[in-house]
Amino acid sequence: MKNPPALDQLIAALKVLPGVGPKTAQRMAFHLLQRDKAGADKLARALDRALTKLTHCERCNTFSETPLCSICADPERRPDQLCVVEMPADLMTLEQAKCYQGLYFVLMGRISPLDNIGPKDVNLDKLMVRALDEVVEEVVIATNFTAEGEVTAHMIAELLKERGPKVSRIARGMPVGGELEYVDLSTLAQAVYERKSLTPPADPSAQPG
Amino acid sequence: MSQQGRVDRQPGYLLHTQPYRETSLLVEVFTPQHGRFTLVARGARRPRADVRGVLLPFQPLTLSWFGKGEVRTLHTAEWNGGVPQLSGIRLVCGFYLNELMLKLTARDDAEPRAFTIYDQAVRALAQTHSLSSVLRRYELRLLQALGYAGSFACDLHGELIDPAADYLCRGGALPERASGEAAGPSVCLPGAELLAIEADDYAAASTRRAARSLLRLLLTDLLGEEPLASRELLQAINAIAD
Ligand SMILES: [Zn+2]
Repeated sequence: MKNPPALDQLIAALKVLPGVGPKTAQRMAFHLLQRDKAGADKLARALDRALTKLTHCERCNTFSETPLCSICADPERRPDQLCVVEMPADLMTLEQAKCYQGLYFVLMGRISPLDNIGPKDVNLDKLMVRALDEVVEEVVIATNFTAEGEVTAHMIAELLKERGPKVSRIARGMPVGGELEYVDLSTLAQAVYERKSLTPPADPSAQPG
Repeated sequence: MSQQGRVDRQPGYLLHTQPYRETSLLVEVFTPQHGRFTLVARGARRPRADVRGVLLPFQPLTLSWFGKGEVRTLHTAEWNGGVPQLSGIRLVCGFYLNELMLKLTARDDAEPRAFTIYDQAVRALAQTHSLSSVLRRYELRLLQALGYAGSFACDLHGELIDPAADYLCRGGALPERASGEAAGPSVCLPGAELLAIEADDYAAASTRRAARSLLRLLLTDLLGEEPLASRELLQAINAIAD
């Protein structure tokens, strides 16, 4: 027996979600249609609304219902700092950490050569226009510390080299409150490779005589 | 308890990962005795998963797994250490090592020589300043280990390469003494350069240029004109840096 076409189309549509294969898609479709019609209706409306209302903020590229997102439109934020993150979830996490008062740029991805995602696929052109607006003085790169996030950071640093803004990378090292004995070996090793000096830099004006 | 297809404590490198289902990872690994294959690392994307800080590319690992068929299951992964994580342009070069390995090897073929060549290249990338020599040596030795190229010490007729003569090189064939026009894609190189390449002696800029054109030819012959994504990225970054 064959499924009615509308059911087949729903199953096929659900398969666009990452990690959802034919079996999972079928289970989802049956659940929505049989057990949770109200939920299905809500999902359909939310999806429709998101597709028609959501766009990308013209300054920071994150999802927004208005041309400028709420952070970019906030006059209290420091306009001279621009923090570059991979995804909107990273922006949200940084906001929760309450450590940064500047503005953001969301790449909506990362460079991943082995997945054929190149510099052109992660909005670097838009980032360059944003970072070189002559107001931004520091670009803080907060892409992930994965190989892909690191390559993306390197590409951005190269693009911004000698173009005006100072470029920095968020630091990697021991977790806060971390005890050496229990930390990841690779994290510990990298913290040693990237150790920082505690010797104050020699200041010629402080020399006696 | 014995698990089907259980393999314990093999040296290995991770070539590529992709998310799998809600919390897992599909990991393409390369090992000397079991070649290249796919492992599922269950729960590896959970926020506090122990393997998060271990399943890193360009880091020597010790892997145990079980299962049969196309996708096996990672049991444990240990981090061996000794190699700083690649960064910057070295990291882009690392992606190139991986892309070549993924494209040139078949799944499940034991390639102990290729593994050694990969291991040496990763360690060299982390240390040396001469990145192009590392890449050329890797390309050549990998092609030779996989049987796609012969030694450049002898010509097509089994005679030793004469440093003073010019040789015509083609994909999949030994060099032959140049005489007149060549048919098909080829490069013409002095014997002295071929001998330097075979001896891993990249001190001279002319040898590095010769190796670049020779290996480009051999790789294009094998992989076709389809550009390598990591090579394009390397070129894009070099173009900005210049
Ligand atoms: Zn915005």
